[in-house]
This record gives sequence, C-alpha cells and structure tokens, in this order.
Amino acid sequence: MKHPFRALLLGVSLALTPACASLQVGHMQFENPISAARTLDQQAYALLNAYAAVIEEATDIVRDPSAPLAFKRALGQAERVATPGAEMLQIAVTAYVRARADFEAASGASQPTLERAATALTVAAQRLSQAIEAARAPISELEDLVRARRG
Amino acid sequence: MLNLILQLQMLLAALSALLPLVPEESRERAAEIIDTVAKVLTAGNSVGANLDDLAAKLAAIRAEVEAMAAVGRHVSGEELEASMARVRTASAAFRAALETAEAGAR
Repeated sequence: MKHPFRALLLGVSLALTPACASLQVGHMQFENPISAARTLDQQAYALLNAYAAVIEEATDIVRDPSAPLAFKRALGQAERVATPGAEMLQIAVTAYVRARADFEAASGASQPTLERAATALTVAAQRLSQAIEAARAPISELEDLVRARRG
Repeated sequence: MLNLILQLQMLLAALSALLPLVPEESRERAAEIIDTVAKVLTAGNSVGANLDDLAAKLAAIRAEVEAMAAVGRHVSGEELEASMARVRTASAAFRAALETAEAGAR
C-alpha cells in the first residue's frame, strides 16, 4: 500500500539528485535530468524544470477527491518549503549567467577588467553551487514530512 | 504495482461483506479502518497514473539537457525565466488546488 508513496518520493528524490542517470521503480523508469547536465547553468535549468514537473503532478494528486487529505497536506507543506528554494536558485543562476556574459565580454579588455570579471564569475559560480545544494535540501524535508505523516 | 492494488481492493470488498460478522463493539472501528485503507488504495491508483506522467516529463527534460550538454550550449536568460515561470505557475495551481481540497473537507 505504501509503494505508490514511496515511488513518488523516489521519483522526486531522483529528480533532484545528480548521482544516477535513471531509476527503475516497478515498470516505470525515472530519468534524472540533472545528471545529464555538464555545466552549472544546465544543472540549474534541469533542477528548475524537474521541480516544476513534480509540482504539476502533485497538483493532479491534490485535485483527486479520493486522495487522503493528510497526504495532500504533507505535499502542501513540502511545496511551501521547496518553492522558496527554487526562487533562490533562479536568482543565483541569473546572476551567474550575467557574470559569465560579462567575463566573456571582457576577454579582450585590459588585465584589471578581466580579473574583475573573473572574480565576479567565480563568486557567482560559488553562489550558484550553494543555491543548487540548498534547493536539493527541501526534498529530504519532503521525504521526512511525508514519512511523519504516514507514521 | 497496479495489479497488486486491484487485488487488494477486491480483498477489501470481500472483507467489507464480512463486517456484519464482526462483534458489534468493534464493528464501527473495523468499518473505519476498511474505509481508510480503501481511500489510500484509491489514492494509490491516482498516484500511479501521476507517476507515469512524471516519468515522461523527466525523460523529456533529460533529453533536452542532454542535447544542450552534447553541443556545449549555455542556457539563456530567457530559458531560465521560462523555467521559473513554469515553477511559479505550477506552484500557484498547486496552492489553489490545495485550498479547494481543504475547503471541501470542512
């Protein structure tokens, strides 16, 4: 009986965990978009879209009158925690994309200008890495919340 | 997995038919338990269908990211904006649906 919920959690965790290319759950195969990314901006893009896909499917579950209210509330709590993480990620990746564009534009400029752009890009990359990590954390929160709800 | 759920639902229907044989003092509690289990099983069916959709969406995103990675293409600001707009739309729809579900339960 708990398998559908466990499978949902596995799917969500997989979507936001970079280690595996895919996961087989029963007859279903869950692809991991993040592990296909080669750059930070691709990782952030994969993470945002995977998260959106998870919420879209969670919405259908919440709209289903036969789904238990306790489960819907658990999903609601998880969404309230995870969406601000996605907002932070978007801010960080936008700053990174701008810093990279500035760095590329400065490639023919004087040494101090180039160094300044390189430093800004390094800082933006570090912030983006932290934001990607931070956006993953609420998924563990989701797992804990649903486990707590399911007893 | 769905076959298992179907079998459990049939078993549950059979158990419901036996409810009158349960001692009167336990009958109400037994009926509650069966009702709860039935709801969870029905939810299991809907979650199963949603997992198929989720698997398809994740596969589509992976294919897109693989294509980007293969040619070393950077993600544009517009693409990131569109991703975040998708998150915001999904989040708003989710919260509205949850509010409706909560209102329906009152």
